[in-house]
Amino acid sequence: MLKIYYGEMEGVCYGPLWFKYSFDLKWFQDELVQQMILDVDKSKYVTGGVIDSPVLGPIPPEKLSGGVKTLIMIYKMPDKVFDATSCGPNCAKWLLEIGRREDVTVNLRYFMPFKGEPLEVEIINAGKTVHSEEEFAFTSLDYL
Amino acid sequence: MKGRHHIIIESPRLKYEFEIKRNITVIRGESATGKTTMVDLLRDFSRGGNQNLIRVVSDYPCVVYEGGEKNWKDFLALIHDAIVFIDEENYFIGTKDFAEYILHTSNYYVLISREPLKNLPYSICEIYGIRTTGKYHFPEQIYHEFYPLYSPEEKENKVEGENTVFVCEDSKAGFQFLQRCSLNNCECISAAGNSNIYDKIQNLDKEKLLIIVADGAAFGAYMEKLMAYIHYRKNVFLYLPESFEWIILKADILKIPHIKQILAEPYNYIESEQYFSWEQYFTDLLTDYTKKDKTVRYHKEKLSEYYLEGYNREKIQKVYPEEIQKIWKDIQVLKNKKEPV
Repeated sequence: MLKIYYGEMEGVCYGPLWFKYSFDLKWFQDELVQQMILDVDKSKYVTGGVIDSPVLGPIPPEKLSGGVKTLIMIYKMPDKVFDATSCGPNCAKWLLEIGRREDVTVNLRYFMPFKGEPLEVEIINAGKTVHSEEEFAFTSLDYL
Repeated sequence: MKGRHHIIIESPRLKYEFEIKRNITVIRGESATGKTTMVDLLRDFSRGGNQNLIRVVSDYPCVVYEGGEKNWKDFLALIHDAIVFIDEENYFIGTKDFAEYILHTSNYYVLISREPLKNLPYSICEIYGIRTTGKYHFPEQIYHEFYPLYSPEEKENKVEGENTVFVCEDSKAGFQFLQRCSLNNCECISAAGNSNIYDKIQNLDKEKLLIIVADGAAFGAYMEKLMAYIHYRKNVFLYLPESFEWIILKADILKIPHIKQILAEPYNYIESEQYFSWEQYFTDLLTDYTKKDKTVRYHKEKLSEYYLEGYNREKIQKVYPEEIQKIWKDIQVLKNKKEPV
């Protein structure tokens, strides 16, 4: 399940930096990683360390967006807590998808709207799990 | 620094073109829009040796902050009269220490951050996303522009309702004006500060039409939260002029020389080193201009009757959006029915 802690948090990891020094090329064989890259960055994984970006042309993984790098780190290192503020609102559905596959905790410092239901997100600050878009919004806003 | 600055950052494949008008500009929005790429281009340009691959056009130097979390004061101490770009990994931009430090610097700052920066008084009009225009035809150059995420008038659905409640950020002159216009016929609540608005509106009757009035010049950090709230609350109208003093100046009842030009291009008159936020400038302008005449003298603490009655009040009311004017008109009609002349 996806768990969110709002506000400042000790020891939180900055996704793009962790990605820079820890990414593994094997991760790109993972279908979910490829889908996230395609959806958020509109880029297609080609082979090895090559990704085809419609804006930048062929790029290495280091040139992916901060949002996708952070999503990949959250997915591949679920035991760490990453600052998902690096992820824009267009990353929300992928955070939910990761949460369906793994138990992950992320730190957030802005209101990222989660669309669509059913939802299952734990708001750590409130000590409760929310199940609808509206419940998510009103619970989260209290801590921002 | 003063003025509006047109900036172009360009490589053979990418072009960014935008204008910076105030001391604080915030860039946020979706992932993969090119925020960090823009900063990378500027960084590569400033390091030199880019063999004319990157072109930057700006009347003031564009500087990328590179000092990390600890050395930012040392770095900024060396920068004057520049446009400083700070990317999102620098958490210090949200601190009170940072806000106090840049208060009287001569730079403009472009901050890339999704986090609401509550210690900084930035305008709702200077929060931008980046978008590309046209189709991608790699390797043709792709054009990026800034677009404002918010405007001074925001609403969800149709603004209507028999019962209206006004919530005003201000507890002084602006609030007194709203109270007077409401003629005791609708509820007016002062939040006594922009950070209190959200708490004030939460417990209000959701069937009532809610009008929120706040100073847009310094409301940037609270905008996202309020927009998220009104998306679900419905029947809310948000009016965020620069400030109440700006409204009085805009009404032009004082006939201050060149006021139309000042309000059309405030960036050409407001020195960022002197005024952290534009609302401070408008307050000073109004206070200074009226200080010699007891009748028109503007006091933020207590608004003079000069602004609250008759023709002057009507002129000020006309600056407010139509949605608010209509509520006041309906109140007046109701009052006239109750108390026929």
